[in-house]
Amino acid sequence: MNSVPLNAYLVVAAALFCFGLYGSLTRRNAVGILMGVELMLNAVNINLVAFWRYLTPEHLGGQVFAVFIIALAAAEAAIGLALFIAIYRTRDTVNVEDINLMKW
Amino acid sequence: MTATNTFGAPVLSLLIFLPLLGAVGISFINRRNVGVIRYATLGVTLVTFLWSLQFYFNFDWNNQGMQFVDRLVWLPSLGVQYLVGIDGISLPMVVLTTLLTAVAVGASWPVETRVKEYMILMLVLETGMLGVFTAIDLFAFFVFWEAALVPMYFLIGVWGGPRRVYASVKFILYTMAGSSLMLIAILALGLSHAGGPTFDLLELVRQPVPPGTQALLFWAFALAFAVKVPLFPLHTWLPDAHVEAPTAGSIILAGVLLKMGTYGLMRFNLPLFPDASRQFAPLFAILAIIGIIYGAWVAFAQRDVKSLVAFSSVSHMGFIVLGIFALNAQGLNGAVMYMVNHGLSTGALFLLVGYIYERRHTRELSAFGGIWATMPLYAVLFLIAMLSSVGLPGLNGFVGEFLTVLGAFRANPIWAAFAALGLILGAVYLFTMFQRVFFGPITDTHNEHLEPLNLREILVAAPLLILMFVLGIYPNLVLGPLQTTVAQVLQMVGTAVALR
Amino acid sequence: MVSGLDFQLFLPETILLVGGIAVLIADLFLRERADRETNLAWVSLAILVAALVASAAQYGVSESLFRSSADPVAPGAFVVDGFTTFFRIIAILTTIIVFLASVEYVRGRTAFRGEFFALMIFSTLAMTLMAGSTDLVMVIISLEFLSITSYILTGYLRGNVKSNEGAVKYFLYGSITTAITFYGASLLFGVAGSTNLYDIAARFADPTAIIGTPLMSLVLPAIIFLLAGFGFKIALVPFHQWSPDAYEGAPTPVTAFLSVGPKAAGFAMLLRVFAVALPEFTHEWAALMIGVAMVTMTLGNIVALSQTNVKRLLAYSSIAQAGYMLIGVAGVSVANIAGIAPGEGGAGLAIDGTAGVLLYILAYLFTNLGLFIGVIAVDYLAGSDTLPGYAGLLRRAPFLTVAMTIFFLSLVGIPPTAGFIGKFWVFGAAIQNQLFALAAVGAINGVISVVYYFRILKQMWYEAPADPTPLRLPGTMNAALWICLSLTLLIGLFPAPFIEFANQSIHMLGVFVRS
Repeated sequence: MNSVPLNAYLVVAAALFCFGLYGSLTRRNAVGILMGVELMLNAVNINLVAFWRYLTPEHLGGQVFAVFIIALAAAEAAIGLALFIAIYRTRDTVNVEDINLMKW
Repeated sequence: MTATNTFGAPVLSLLIFLPLLGAVGISFINRRNVGVIRYATLGVTLVTFLWSLQFYFNFDWNNQGMQFVDRLVWLPSLGVQYLVGIDGISLPMVVLTTLLTAVAVGASWPVETRVKEYMILMLVLETGMLGVFTAIDLFAFFVFWEAALVPMYFLIGVWGGPRRVYASVKFILYTMAGSSLMLIAILALGLSHAGGPTFDLLELVRQPVPPGTQALLFWAFALAFAVKVPLFPLHTWLPDAHVEAPTAGSIILAGVLLKMGTYGLMRFNLPLFPDASRQFAPLFAILAIIGIIYGAWVAFAQRDVKSLVAFSSVSHMGFIVLGIFALNAQGLNGAVMYMVNHGLSTGALFLLVGYIYERRHTRELSAFGGIWATMPLYAVLFLIAMLSSVGLPGLNGFVGEFLTVLGAFRANPIWAAFAALGLILGAVYLFTMFQRVFFGPITDTHNEHLEPLNLREILVAAPLLILMFVLGIYPNLVLGPLQTTVAQVLQMVGTAVALR
Repeated sequence: MVSGLDFQLFLPETILLVGGIAVLIADLFLRERADRETNLAWVSLAILVAALVASAAQYGVSESLFRSSADPVAPGAFVVDGFTTFFRIIAILTTIIVFLASVEYVRGRTAFRGEFFALMIFSTLAMTLMAGSTDLVMVIISLEFLSITSYILTGYLRGNVKSNEGAVKYFLYGSITTAITFYGASLLFGVAGSTNLYDIAARFADPTAIIGTPLMSLVLPAIIFLLAGFGFKIALVPFHQWSPDAYEGAPTPVTAFLSVGPKAAGFAMLLRVFAVALPEFTHEWAALMIGVAMVTMTLGNIVALSQTNVKRLLAYSSIAQAGYMLIGVAGVSVANIAGIAPGEGGAGLAIDGTAGVLLYILAYLFTNLGLFIGVIAVDYLAGSDTLPGYAGLLRRAPFLTVAMTIFFLSLVGIPPTAGFIGKFWVFGAAIQNQLFALAAVGAINGVISVVYYFRILKQMWYEAPADPTPLRLPGTMNAALWICLSLTLLIGLFPAPFIEFANQSIHMLGVFVRS
């Protein structure tokens, strides 16, 4: 039934996580960073669902966890975008290199 | 071992906290009533001094243990106690502290700015110092040790000379660096005690520390004390602190705070770490000798009277450390005697330098000359203090110097030879300074009409000068109560040698 | 599905939740009234005090909520025990003191005061939830809850460029580290097959279950990834970069709040998750803490040396302070947490690392908040948050200066102040665990911190003020200052009852120790 091994899912998730992390650390645009973070969160979801399906299919814990992560990701994105709009109004930019009033 | 106090009342705690209570009281006085604040502070310090004399007269010379002990459990789970008591080593220190604080307050009349804060800090400082000299519990000792540090920082920093900020930060950094390692050592010592943690010195002494650990802990304690003494090469904070501090600050600093270092070596290092003490005694003796010679040499080159006296302190404190690490009865007796003498003579010198500074607003040697003619009484007082510092027989300084050098000789004759060289250098720079200030022609017209000493100034200096004669003729006032305790310390170190 | 829901135990959280929503709604209806902000402030304060009383009333309780119906005996997703009670009290006290200090400050700075109070209450709720979470889902939700409210509070001054910038930086660092934490949680879930911390611990304690399987190699990454999230809240190096910017940009009362509340909650969660779920790996995570503690203290102190903005300086100082607290975590004894009394069979030690952390947090709460009351006062009355703004404060506000001096001494750890007791305890825990190098690094850092703390003292005591007009603190601020000052000195002079409180509070429900 499970022709694809668990490891394959974990590797995909790990790769996705790394892409997301790389993206969020290298992007200059705040919205781009947020997109990287979303990728990382999706990697978390793949992990959770795969672990649930392969290891503990009799409990709902993993699925519930994934649903919560999706909800939290949405809440976080909402707050993030609101903050970006606020700074766009005062600074006319969401490029993080230009958001540099305070250093060290 | 611990004798409970005979009064049934916490008489010693009353002594320690009397200045603090006074400070609380003074904080309610309106800051504009400068006169009231001054007299109230002087009153508090005088009462404290009289109360401390009571301990001297009721002290049992033959009692081996701590006397007037007050005990209060502070942290039951760690066995931390508020535990204070007096023995032969603490007794002279306590009386010296109360005396010099009263003198310092008397010398503080010229302070005009923020008198209220100044006086409060002086009193808090006195409580801290008295606590240091009486605490038997290491935790309580550390609390008092640090409590004495902070007021001095502000005294130098707010009321000091032009480079006061630099001097005060240097002062606090050196001392904090030393004491933070001591805190670690105190913890390690107290927590490793078999049979539950305790910080009671008398308990800890009974259980020898394993040799390897002993060396580490010895150094952690010794560094904290060596910074305070200050032992060469950790002395560099001292001249800055002394030169910038106000007169009263210098008196307390030289007279009492430096003694906290040598007292700590004697009270904690020797009994707690006997093996390490014997092992490192030669090293400390050599550092002390370097300090003696170096301090004297540099003092000779100073052009500022105050920094000259400051460097002379480095030299004199070297004698005390040498006496301690001679590890024999003469050395230890001499060290305590020397601590008292140095407090009196250097305290008096700083006081007298302060008097002339208030008249001339300079301390440059080149600005003076011929002062003997304009202020003869002042010159006589200065001469007495200086001769006491040099160690003229008949004055107090001689007894301490003779005993420490004798102790050093019995430990190692070469040490004594170098120490004697330091004595000669000491005489040279002090006499040179005296000659340049008081003799010769009047080179500066300002010196022709100097206001003579007023009654307050004479009264403040008088007790120190009188004590110089008294202790010079009858040194047993200090040495007498000391014998039992010194014998006991030597027994703990394991190098007991009969005094006579 | 879920049973064992005892609202009695959940009373503090319920009060905070209902109260927060009520404040929001009341703000909506009172919008026209001129006195609404004062009224709302007092109402919010009353809500917090009620929650504090409800928390304190549960002293000594050791129960669990949200038990699974499948196994009604095993603890569920949230526990109320000594540890939870302690951190509930810490969280609520923090907010109360910040409230008292900020009522006047918030007035007139923004149009949405009711929301400010409601957000503070919600943050408090998030912190109390963090303290008692014993399920990974609960851990993640409460962590994110606190993050989101903190982002909004940091960016609360909407027209202020610095406030915006601080919030955006806080958010960006925060969202990345939370994603890492979530990833760590998913790995831990995968290895142990459960989200319940007690089940996870049971899986690791069972030698036949997973020991030796390839999944075990995921445990250490999971620990490190989880630490990223907790370390972010605590501002541990290397997850600290947000804190100086967020501290400097945020409204000063929010800075005060951020410097204590989330830090304490982060420590609560770190200790809870590691002690409950991963007692088998104590050696691994304790060793990790030694390194992080050393780096955190040293970096925080050294960077603080060159700061000129007081809020930023205190941000680095609080990073260093977190490093000292971490010394206690490195000296944790899980046996003590499990309630095995010190000395019994050598299982426990006289000074417990966890008790050290709790004691330090208690001391730090009053010390740091007290200091920040001074910063708020200077910001509010003199409009400055840079070092020269503090020049001659001794002449302008003598009592405030003396109080702030005592707080600085407490942060350095000079007796007789609360900070000394906290330091004594964490250093003692390290020394008992033979971590001499860690204790020595901590001691040396204490000396470094003197330099920059005393730079502020120098300004306050030695310099002449540019504007000698006296500063008069509003009554509420004075009250908060008195609370902080008296407790800082009280803990320092008579520490015994507070130590007893900390020692009682380290016991967590159902921690498993292999004997």
